[in-house]
Amino acid sequence: MALLAPPAPPETGPGRGRPPASRWARTGSALRQPIVLLGAATAVVLGVLVLPPLAGLVATTLRPEGITAWRDVLASRLSENLFYEPLINSLVIGGATSLGATALGGFMAWLVVMTDAPGKRWLGLLAMIPFALPSFALALAWETVFRNDRIGGRVGVLADLGLMPPDWLSWGALPISATLIAHYYSLSFVLVTAALASVNADLMEAGEMAGATRARVARSIALPVVLPAIIASGLLAFAEGVSNFASPALLGLPVRFQTVSTRLFGAISTGETARGYVLALLLIAVAAVVLFSSTRLLGARRSYATITGKGGRRRQIELGAWRLPLTGLGVLVVLVTTIVPASVLLASSFSRRTNSFTGGFTTHFWVGASDPAFAQGQRGVLRNPLVVDAAITTITLGLAVAVTATVLGLAVGYVITRLRGPRPVVGAISILSYLPFLIPGIALGAAFIAQFGRPIGPIPALYGTFAILVIAGAAYTLPFAAQSGRSAVAQISADLEESAAMAGAGLFRRMTRIVVPLSARGLLAGAVLVFVKMVRDLSLVVLLVTPATPLLSVVTYRYASEGFAQFANAITVIIAVISVAATVAAQRLQGTAQPWVDR
Amino acid sequence: MINTRMRWPTVAALPLALSIAACGGGEPTAQTPDAPTTANSLDALSIEELTAQAEEEGTVVVYSFTSRIADVEAAFEETYPGIDLVGNDISATEQIARIKAESAAGSESADVAYLSDAPVVLDELVGPGLLLPYVPPRVADALPPEFREPLLTNRLSTKVLMYNEEAHPDGPPVENLWELTEPPWAGKVVMVDPNVRGDYLDLMTEIVLRSEEMEQAHQEAFGEPVTLDDGIESAGEQWIKDLYANDLVLVDDTDNVNAAVGQTGQDAPPVGFTSYSDRRDNEEEGWALQVASGITPSPGIAFPALLGIVKDAEHPAAARLFIDFVMGDDSPTGGPGYEPFYVAGDYPTRSDIETPEDAVSLDELGAWVIDSTATAERRSAVADLILTLD
Repeated sequence: MALLAPPAPPETGPGRGRPPASRWARTGSALRQPIVLLGAATAVVLGVLVLPPLAGLVATTLRPEGITAWRDVLASRLSENLFYEPLINSLVIGGATSLGATALGGFMAWLVVMTDAPGKRWLGLLAMIPFALPSFALALAWETVFRNDRIGGRVGVLADLGLMPPDWLSWGALPISATLIAHYYSLSFVLVTAALASVNADLMEAGEMAGATRARVARSIALPVVLPAIIASGLLAFAEGVSNFASPALLGLPVRFQTVSTRLFGAISTGETARGYVLALLLIAVAAVVLFSSTRLLGARRSYATITGKGGRRRQIELGAWRLPLTGLGVLVVLVTTIVPASVLLASSFSRRTNSFTGGFTTHFWVGASDPAFAQGQRGVLRNPLVVDAAITTITLGLAVAVTATVLGLAVGYVITRLRGPRPVVGAISILSYLPFLIPGIALGAAFIAQFGRPIGPIPALYGTFAILVIAGAAYTLPFAAQSGRSAVAQISADLEESAAMAGAGLFRRMTRIVVPLSARGLLAGAVLVFVKMVRDLSLVVLLVTPATPLLSVVTYRYASEGFAQFANAITVIIAVISVAATVAAQRLQGTAQPWVDR
Repeated sequence: MINTRMRWPTVAALPLALSIAACGGGEPTAQTPDAPTTANSLDALSIEELTAQAEEEGTVVVYSFTSRIADVEAAFEETYPGIDLVGNDISATEQIARIKAESAAGSESADVAYLSDAPVVLDELVGPGLLLPYVPPRVADALPPEFREPLLTNRLSTKVLMYNEEAHPDGPPVENLWELTEPPWAGKVVMVDPNVRGDYLDLMTEIVLRSEEMEQAHQEAFGEPVTLDDGIESAGEQWIKDLYANDLVLVDDTDNVNAAVGQTGQDAPPVGFTSYSDRRDNEEEGWALQVASGITPSPGIAFPALLGIVKDAEHPAAARLFIDFVMGDDSPTGGPGYEPFYVAGDYPTRSDIETPEDAVSLDELGAWVIDSTATAERRSAVADLILTLD
């Protein structure tokens, strides 16, 4: 458990805000007690949801074969190929994904929220879609253009034109990073958009009136305000980047570009479970280091509070001469990351031959009746009664998990932001809420079976019920909820709560009257991410699902594992449509939730 | 305060203890080889007796690594209307994890496991007694012993060398596996990374286990014995090393091998190891896949799809009835129970079921049928060797 070692204490640097310690001291114990309780409660919930799988991983690697596995991974003739090289590759991919996704997402958010770019509503909608697409759709889109003759079979458009792309353009670090950035920049976009929407226009106006240049206003006022959101989304993109298996497997293996995630997946699927778990723990350790470095970055400046209760009409930046070029850039981004991959995915659900657009198209995979001469008699997905059932269950599960995870994420965000110490507890809460999707889905699932497979006191065995899927889903998607909760709460000035506390409002009242309404936008953004992740992701549910709880992602897997790629793609399109619908619905809801913010 | 302090460790320790007990798998919990239980006494029952008991049980839950279980389900419920078959599609890796976790929690939800990855299954499920053998008495005589023990084998699938018959209409472009390690085939051999998929690791392991035959094949191809590099102990290992050094192309998935090798209209298509049964998709996918049958010493492996009964299964009689059903009836094609698997490229284990038409027989193909126990022993050493070659 050395992983949970307390973080290096953030320096009490010369922050520009008042040191919060004194603020809390003044407010006194009235405020302090309930938040400690909330912190303890949050820690317990995390202890039940996240600690057991983690403990399971550790326990497995401490058995004799686990000890051997540690040696194999860290100090043997295998180590270099099994761990160190893949680790460097993973860090490159994770770092590139994190930086690239944040920069791209931040730019798009700025363009859509702050400027007078034309058609920005559409840009805003389209920029959210890539996260709802499966990462293989983006990899497939890349191959459609850039695939060279390394493997054989079909080549991409460029090669067809006689411009054979070199291996570094077709395979390996560059295409993997590019496709992951295209996939995960939506994360940053969603979170930063939520944060930017809360930027106090008065501050910016004051800055400009005081003679600061636009660039300086952006750097000194707007950027600090969204920094929590930027860091949160950078962290999420990093974790997604290092844990993603599909992209490195598809685009990396042909040039033997291995990452920790491909090694980890391979170890587990070839029966070297202990070795796989050791790799998972090392990945978690790396993520913990990254998390705490970022906390330190945030810690250098203590207060990001910008929501002070004074509402403000938001002013748009007039782009002037830059209007067209910047809008054009935005259009290009959504074209490349949304329109093309979505079209490839859609087209591949109609193409007669797997992932080939030259062999003709058919609607069979959607609406065809059973025909023994075609796809071994499989009927179209819309004729499969299971699909409707699965769609309903999937949406219900997504909503239930989104609500559960968001409540928990708010608690985590609040505790991390407001509870200053004891540091080990805050550190433990922040790491436990960040690492769930670095735990291999199979280990997470197994731990939940172990824990909820038998009755605990008055609670009956939950295994095989819908409830266990919700609980496990909430644990799995907690990183999204916690990070968005954290960045949302960090924006709210503690002054507001102080005043309320002085006036006698308890923690619950402050939560429901101040924190939740003011952070609604950020929380909803997190909820959308949770929902999308849940309806799309298979790795967790596959171990817990039963025929009584059919899910679309499981149906996809069923088709794909039998080689019915078009049927699988058709279901994936349905999943993407559900995700986009949820995103749009959440946008509407945001308008209702915070009527005082301009849209 | 004291109260909280006391409670804390307990609360934190509970899940910890549970999962330490649970997550890791079977072997530490004392698993005395099953004393004769009621379940075992079911093994000798006739179909009629089983049916009667199974109908009382009413349900059978199957974990299956193939979605063709849906077809089996329909056929089974037609034959035995009183019994509800609940089929779950779960990959072999996940079945293994799930069965271990369920057993640890005492919440077994499956009765039958139908899965591949035999070497891992033997180690992790059969060894600790989590998955029990059952051989239907009706078909026992038609099964060679290696398909009865340690677990019943329902059929064999293949991972064999395939080529593009459009580009090579006169037969396989190679006659000997060793040719693949020569310059003309540099960057022209494709397979799934054996460190990502177990069946490909089994293929590599079998080649090492067949080192004597690999040695002979080398003699035939080049007229001289294999020279072993430092740290290489056998002809099979040397072949793997040479293949990797000859710019072997790895991909993530069998379908990618098929598309690379089979795609029509290629001037110089690669060859690759994949499933013979995928040839049935040639027309639909625009492929020209053909199996390199009869090459020296062998085109690859045939590996088992296993059937076992989950320990403490809730529906033990129905589980046995299902296994009996899916082993096929007494007709030469195995009837409705075996029908979903009666395809070219999948090989029935029962000697009294005929090889499907238009498929080469297992003998003609010359694929090595893997010995799962021997494979299990050698597998991780081969995986380690391959790790150093990447």
